[in-house]
Amino acid sequence: MSTLEVEHLVKVYPGGTRAVDDLTFQVGAGEFFGFLGPNGAGKTTTIRILATLMRATSGRAWVTGVEVAADPATVRARIGFAMQTVAVDPLATGRESLEIIGRLYRVPTKELTTRVDELLALMGLTDVAHRKTGTYSGGMRRRLDLASALVHRPAVLFLDEPTEGLDPQSRTALWDELRRIRAGGTTMFLTTHYMEEADELCDRIAIIDRGGIVVSGTPAELKRSVGADTVELRLVADSGDDVVEAQDEVERRLDAFPPLTSLERTETGVRLSLVEAGSAIPELFRRLDGDGVAIRGLTMSEPTLADVFLRYTGREIRAEEANQTIELGMWG
Amino acid sequence: MTDLAWFGHDVFFLGRRTIRRFYRVPSNPVSIVLYPLIQLIVFSQLYKDIVQLPGFGGGSYLAYLAPGQIAFTVFFAVAWSGGNLLYDYRNGYLDKLRIAPISRYAILAGEFVPLFVECVVMAGIILVLSALLGAPIATGLPGAIAVALLGGAFGVAWSGTSFVPALITKNEQATGTLSILFFPVAFMSTAFVPTGLMPEWLQMVNDWNPISHVIEAMRSLMTVGVEWDVLGRAVLSIVLLGLVLHAVTLWAFRRLTD
Repeated sequence: MSTLEVEHLVKVYPGGTRAVDDLTFQVGAGEFFGFLGPNGAGKTTTIRILATLMRATSGRAWVTGVEVAADPATVRARIGFAMQTVAVDPLATGRESLEIIGRLYRVPTKELTTRVDELLALMGLTDVAHRKTGTYSGGMRRRLDLASALVHRPAVLFLDEPTEGLDPQSRTALWDELRRIRAGGTTMFLTTHYMEEADELCDRIAIIDRGGIVVSGTPAELKRSVGADTVELRLVADSGDDVVEAQDEVERRLDAFPPLTSLERTETGVRLSLVEAGSAIPELFRRLDGDGVAIRGLTMSEPTLADVFLRYTGREIRAEEANQTIELGMWG
Repeated sequence: MTDLAWFGHDVFFLGRRTIRRFYRVPSNPVSIVLYPLIQLIVFSQLYKDIVQLPGFGGGSYLAYLAPGQIAFTVFFAVAWSGGNLLYDYRNGYLDKLRIAPISRYAILAGEFVPLFVECVVMAGIILVLSALLGAPIATGLPGAIAVALLGGAFGVAWSGTSFVPALITKNEQATGTLSILFFPVAFMSTAFVPTGLMPEWLQMVNDWNPISHVIEAMRSLMTVGVEWDVLGRAVLSIVLLGLVLHAVTLWAFRRLTD
């Protein structure tokens, strides 16, 4: 059985909003899996159901083979969850914050000190460990929060928008940390609305929109499914040189070349759209070989996940304001 | 370890955090002790001669006032107690505790046990200062301990008045302002004057005012001796009050964490 197993999961909120609509997916042991989708797509709801914080309306889910609704206590002991909103106790020091979590997860006293030292070092917080977290920067709080999800060495780590609100440098640093954690064998489940993040970290991605999975696969598969890669050929040395003749020749020789979907002239050569460019290039070179065409440079670029998202949802993904619901009762 | 032992273990560590949160904001312990103390000193000077009115039975007003001010300390210590849990709920820390493999009731107990300790300590401080100012303690050290324990028990029972609004409104301001509504209950009690000097309707109110019963028990321990009927009424008030308020607190907490 997979580490995460989700079958026909549905969550309907009391107001009638169908946040999660018949989700089915699996995540294998040690895999880095990502949910990519805009805010409000159902990512947080799914992750909160899997982490035992919320009950599904229908459908079933298993974490490490244990059914979430049937035995939440066992699931809790095996998972770590870094939530979207960083929750640290401002009056506790960094070390105290990790220690109490370790205690609640019943990490043995002897092991706990070593583990806390190790995590503080991993997150680069050793020097500030004795300071109250109220004095920490946003990035430091994020890292401490992540560390607190790791104290008990969980088998599965849930990460809900882990780099939301971080500056680019802290983001890249956090990515490195996540890769290190994963290298230790932890199964990772990430939600994000950053294309780059999903692309950088995940082995497999599911694009989620309006509560359902639109498409899933490895980042490479998804990008390939969108279609063509872009190959740019430089045909002349300087942009001032006459390129038209070479361009005409290329166009003639690539006539009826199956992988080619479009050809565009540029200042110094041509821009080709090629399906599976990686395997089409040898044949491309064979066709272009011979007098009249001299290839002076080649650049190849794959489609991005942004293209993938646009293609499958018909909309562009963008970072909207956080979709926090604020509860206001009659006295509020 | 058994489930119960683990429960105790979790409550200990959660409780330690709660206590830390309390004293790391020094204005908490300072104002909770200072206000009743000022009230004790100022009122005992201002109304020094009030004891000559019938109903007081002579003695010093300071001695009459001290038990009421102990109750006041507890009252203030409790006024904002639900706020901690609300803060944790708001910033997401409660979710962090909810996904830990602990009983959710340990979270609640991790608030009440420290509250008991805080109230006992605060009551102890006022008690010692009152004694230094000249208030008698007829029952000696055992009586003084009993007074402090009564304060602690009353604090835990009365804390429902803060937890229930906090858990139901989920709003800090509402929790703060609603606690003002409970102030008259303290001011209408026998903290300042005996029921004999009150209008009839207020006397009836005080038959049912748990704070008055607790104050009377403390006062009897300090000025008279062990009066079992007075003590019994105080314990009964605390138990009944606690049962009612905590049934609602539990209901609201379950609703919040489901």
